[in-house]
Amino acid sequence: MKVGEIMTRDVTSVEKDIPVKELIFILDSAKMSNMPVVDEEGKLIAFISEKDIIKAALPGYFEMLHSTSFIPDMNQFAKKLGQIADDPVERHMHSDVICVEVDDDDLQAADLIIRKNLKSLPVIDAERRLVGVVKRIDLLHHLL
Amino acid sequence: MIVTVTPNPSVDEIYWVDRLKIGKETQEEYLTRATDSDISAGGKGINISIFLARMGLENIAMGFVGGYTGHVVVRALRDEGVTTNFVWMGSGETRINLTVLEHGREHIPILIDGPGIAVAEGEMNRFMRRYRRMLKVADWVVLAGSLPPQVNLAFYYELAKLAKQAGVKVAISAGASCLTHCLPAAPNIVKPDTREHLSFEWMKLGTKEEIISAGKRIVQDGVEIMIVSHEVTGDIVITRDSIWEINARVQTTQFRNLVGADDALLGGVIYQIYNGAGIEQALRFGLAAGIVSAESREKVCRDMGKIEREMANVTLNRI
Repeated sequence: MKVGEIMTRDVTSVEKDIPVKELIFILDSAKMSNMPVVDEEGKLIAFISEKDIIKAALPGYFEMLHSTSFIPDMNQFAKKLGQIADDPVERHMHSDVICVEVDDDDLQAADLIIRKNLKSLPVIDAERRLVGVVKRIDLLHHLL
Repeated sequence: MIVTVTPNPSVDEIYWVDRLKIGKETQEEYLTRATDSDISAGGKGINISIFLARMGLENIAMGFVGGYTGHVVVRALRDEGVTTNFVWMGSGETRINLTVLEHGREHIPILIDGPGIAVAEGEMNRFMRRYRRMLKVADWVVLAGSLPPQVNLAFYYELAKLAKQAGVKVAISAGASCLTHCLPAAPNIVKPDTREHLSFEWMKLGTKEEIISAGKRIVQDGVEIMIVSHEVTGDIVITRDSIWEINARVQTTQFRNLVGADDALLGGVIYQIYNGAGIEQALRFGLAAGIVSAESREKVCRDMGKIEREMANVTLNRI
């Protein structure tokens, strides 16, 4: 089966110059955990997830800690999040975006989602325009 | 690609009842139990999107949604195979439109439409940016339905103007007050919403003669096709070259659900024109789609074969 037959037909996306706080609002209201970033032609240029925002807002030494119990409270996280709230999405997005084409096989999408541990995968057409997303749940629903 | 814009979508709840007592008929609390009910995504543009998807035509639906009911709308569209691109509102819920249909009187529905959520400046800016992007893939845009609170009556005019500048064809289905503002953009097709008091600032549209007179003026100003539902089973269509009266030989008592039938009509016309058909074929198909939709429990029909068979009952007369 082709990716186009199993994908979620949604092209909700953001532009690279919108602020992080607006991205958080869109992710929350649309109940999404990540978002494709497109240019003014609607072509996919990057991807950004809530994980990327959390990572950007964590204190620099966080990765050196073995446990979050070493962090006294959420204040430092909240302060850093406030500092990046007006950053353009561009500063925190991934330009090396993993995606599939609408005519690719479902197996290819499944392989990428499982191997790369992705929640969802943007789907593009031959001109690299965003046409949908394949979510893990799309695959499960499709296979059942 | 066809892009539909529904600025004020809804969740449509439809109840069928044997008898409805309302207002002064009752002096005390009175429970009416429905014999059947239906819930679906609604709004004129959304109905057209669903119709087109059911006819196998890929399309993208845009507009503003919010809250739990917003998710109901978006989910329903995706399940129909419509691509969604909605702006999520900061607060509020997508409205609910309620329809009550009495058995045997389904052709006279009782309609209560919610007002919708006010659109803030930031949300409007977000929408406009996405709309400009969508124009790059669109061949047609369909602007349909009422406007949410705080949205300027010239909203459709702005969208139509941008579309025309981009070489994209435009169809508009809306109330007369909203349509009046759009006419300078010279949309290709206009369909006034006849459920509301129908009159332009310069002329009311009551009689057949008034509709034709107003239509002539509108097509002179650049509109290609104006469709007015004059009767439940008949429309008047005015183009630059011709005026038609189209009618379907059906009994209104056969109708089960008129909600969305008008949108199936416009969807049918656009479907045919998009696929290269001439105006007469498009009008026959459109009216047949509206009639089959009105005869079915669902808001818009999904059976192409039924529509094609119904076309035999449609008459098209030049006036």
